[in-house]
Amino acid sequence: MSHTTSSAGTPVPSATETATETAAGTSGTSVIRARGLRKHYGDFHAVQGIDLDVTPGECFGLLGPNGAGKSTTMRMLAGVSQRTAGELSIMGIDPEEDGPAVRAHLGVVPQQDNLDEELTARDNLLIYGRYFGLPYSYLKPKSLELLEFAQLTDKADTKADALSGGMKRRLVIARALVNEPQLLLLDEPTTGLDPQARHILWDRLYRLKERGTTLVLTTHYMDEAEQLCDRLVVVDGGQIMAAGTPQALIREHASREVLEVRFGTDRNEAAAEVLRAETRVHRIEVLPDRVLLYGDRADELQDAVTALAEAGRVTAPVTALTRRASLEDVFLILTGRTLVD
Amino acid sequence: MAETFPTTAASSGGRPASSSARQDAAGTAQGGAPGTSTASGPLQPPFGPAESARRVRRRGLWYFAEHQLRSMRRYGSVLVVNAVGEPLVYLLAMGLGLATLISGGASAEVLGGATYLQFIAPALLASSALMTASVEFSYPVMDGFKWHRIYYAPQATPISPAQITAGHLTAVSLRFLAQSTVFYLIMTAFGATDSPWSWLQVFSATLGGLAIGSWIMAFAASIRDEKGQFALLQRFVVMPLFLFSATFYPLTQLPLSLQWIGWISPQWHAAQLGRVLSYGMDNPAWLTAVHVLYLMGLAASGALVAVAIYTRRLGWRSGRPDPDAVVTRTKGPRGSVLSRRAERASSAPAASASSAAEAAGEATTAAGEAAGPGGVAVVGTPGTAAVPPMPEITVRTGALSGMYSGNIRAVLERAFLSLKSNNWAVFVSGFAEPVLYLLSLGIGLGSLIGELPGPDGEPIPYGMYIAPALLAVSAMNGAVYDSTWNVFFKLRYAKTYQTMLATRLGPLDVALGEILMALFRGAVYAASFLIVMALMGLVTSWTALLMVPGALLVAFGFAAVGMAVTSYMKTFQHMDWIMIVMLPMFLFSATFFPLQVYPTGVQWFIQALPLWHAVEMMRHLAVGVVTWATAGHILYFVVMAAAGLVFASRRLARLFLR
Repeated sequence: MSHTTSSAGTPVPSATETATETAAGTSGTSVIRARGLRKHYGDFHAVQGIDLDVTPGECFGLLGPNGAGKSTTMRMLAGVSQRTAGELSIMGIDPEEDGPAVRAHLGVVPQQDNLDEELTARDNLLIYGRYFGLPYSYLKPKSLELLEFAQLTDKADTKADALSGGMKRRLVIARALVNEPQLLLLDEPTTGLDPQARHILWDRLYRLKERGTTLVLTTHYMDEAEQLCDRLVVVDGGQIMAAGTPQALIREHASREVLEVRFGTDRNEAAAEVLRAETRVHRIEVLPDRVLLYGDRADELQDAVTALAEAGRVTAPVTALTRRASLEDVFLILTGRTLVD
Repeated sequence: MAETFPTTAASSGGRPASSSARQDAAGTAQGGAPGTSTASGPLQPPFGPAESARRVRRRGLWYFAEHQLRSMRRYGSVLVVNAVGEPLVYLLAMGLGLATLISGGASAEVLGGATYLQFIAPALLASSALMTASVEFSYPVMDGFKWHRIYYAPQATPISPAQITAGHLTAVSLRFLAQSTVFYLIMTAFGATDSPWSWLQVFSATLGGLAIGSWIMAFAASIRDEKGQFALLQRFVVMPLFLFSATFYPLTQLPLSLQWIGWISPQWHAAQLGRVLSYGMDNPAWLTAVHVLYLMGLAASGALVAVAIYTRRLGWRSGRPDPDAVVTRTKGPRGSVLSRRAERASSAPAASASSAAEAAGEATTAAGEAAGPGGVAVVGTPGTAAVPPMPEITVRTGALSGMYSGNIRAVLERAFLSLKSNNWAVFVSGFAEPVLYLLSLGIGLGSLIGELPGPDGEPIPYGMYIAPALLAVSAMNGAVYDSTWNVFFKLRYAKTYQTMLATRLGPLDVALGEILMALFRGAVYAASFLIVMALMGLVTSWTALLMVPGALLVAFGFAAVGMAVTSYMKTFQHMDWIMIVMLPMFLFSATFFPLQVYPTGVQWFIQALPLWHAVEMMRHLAVGVVTWATAGHILYFVVMAAAGLVFASRRLARLFLR
């Protein structure tokens, strides 16, 4: 998959054009097609012109810091929030023209669980299925199947109230599958879960993908995005900052490897000045507690730092760590390190 | 379709053995199966998204109503007890007990020839729908949008916001119908109906419930942050509509300056309609038509406004972001639990319906506080200036050192902070309820009843007769509410006590702090009520001032016992019993009519109950007749308070330090 180059920190309208071409190339129809999607709340512009093309069967990720407009976008995709401007079609239907028809295709996992805690796990599935007009003759066996899928068979008659956080989350995901949706929208599906629960969820989502379900998910977890997503966009300030496969994004925006060096809290800045001038580093980032050096080979960078230290140009580093660049580096490079909210 | 549901889930393939066959059958039957179900694939729906959308477009509101009804079924036993118990005790107390005071020539004319039972029964039927409406359309709506966000689940499905609104209205209407039918059957058993059309009032009451309910629903949907609005709604809208709408006496008994409340009140229109249907009350045809049209108009317009608000709030044409739809979940109370509290409380409308409403307000704040970095400790957060050295934390030793740290003040500080961050208007308005009762019954019924014998046998006006009783009831309700619902809620849901007990505070600090707070509240209400009584000319002796400490003693007694009883409560279902005891006690303890209307055996039973002693004690103090009987009543409460406190202290360790 190709991708366009862009400098960090600026919106890249061309990035999505590439995504569009890819979509058109692999399949005639997009599951989701958005052009210039906008959502304004009074003066606040939550989403400021987003283009998306999601092809059948792929797992598509929306990444971005808090308040980037991910959830607002997801709610527009789910047909539960009216867009301010732009074009949108889900399964070939404009949600504004026929919301019920769009939502009949979808499975939605909201950011916050909204189970009916007074009802049992099984009843939650049944009632949700009724919302799709499905008959009990289908829903009764289906609820058993879904409970097993969510590993909640022995909790079928437990009130949702009494389930643990991870169980609730699995139940919400199972609930979203009651109508066997072709398109599953997941808003931060694993936030707040322990590592075991996350891995179980990833496994379940992967199985859905194997079955041909199209997945769109938002997440804060870069490892999750790397694990699951075929393609993703990084969103910030309501705009798309970058788009592509995880590997391509790393290649393009970060580098192959990273060296993390700690010179001590007050000495990082000065050391960074020297390193920027004296080493073959692609990119250098100074954090309060450490300096990140992006390059093709971290061991070469480390040798250079050692040499400079021996020459007395920089203080000897307290610690030095080499690692591969990850999506997290891309994310931080693109969206900055300051807290958004 | 074959009805062979697999009872257990099959192997790790994840798919019941019979599902393939049933899916094929279903698919053929429905003719629209889209799925390409393979042998190992998941069970496919019997029809595709297009058919799903078509069905929901046609019947969506029923699918949502089904959900609501299923939720109601979870606490069905409470609903049944309410539906049967409420008409029983009201008809017994008002229709039979109070009626003995209102028989006679002049009153027969005022009532248009009907018996008092005939007159009051249709109005009580209508008011039960009104009360249910104020419960079902307030907290559950808030729950749908905010606490549990129940509405956001169907929002993601083909169901439209309008269908969610209509579905909720439909489900509650069905409850109105069921409840009104039970009420109708009971009042017929009492012999209160004598028209072949009387059964139609089941529908007139439902219409009345919808007329007010749809507007309450619209109001509730427009609230984003519950800060006691429901308590205020209950006190200043629902209560007056109930009390000034010719429920207990014809509207003409009120001065013209108060009659207008009846004219605009759906309760009046529904009650009058019920009377026409129930016993053929003389009513001009045009006026009957006005009743029907007014109720239908209110119900329809309220429903339209509600649909518009729901639609906006559930995503369409929204002017600003709905915080509940985007941000992380507000850690609110279990809305449905609260709705059930309000539910039960509504069966004792004297003072507790809105107390429960108020509890919910406080609950929200309490939960908010709990979510914060840590309750009381935050109060003195130091700035960036130099932090003085921390003073040594002393720990009290001596008697009860395991239970009591001598720091009740901290508990009270929290309570006052919570009061401040709540809507304080809600607190202050708490005294409105007994005042409204006094105004309505004192003026309206007073003109029908005239005078009753006072404590010393001298006749006194009806208003003077009930005022001290209402004060006693108000003291009881406040104390019971504070020591049961409030304690139970903070213990089980807001976890306020867990936080407190993680510090050096002991359980006795917490208990005494809470009781003192309840007494403070009681003192404020009692003093305000006394002022109102004085303004209405109902105070004739200086000893009336003693009613304030009297109210505190009553409150202390009920609070201590209430706390001890609460320590046994494990679920909200157990809390039902408190309301089941409270409502009859409120209605039968010589509150609205003298004990002499009962047979001797019943009189003895009532004289054993605490509220009767409270009512009598207040009555004595109000008119300045202080006798050995007065001392006996006081002694009853002294003993009750002392025994309750000992009992409560013993239970506290178990309650708090489980």
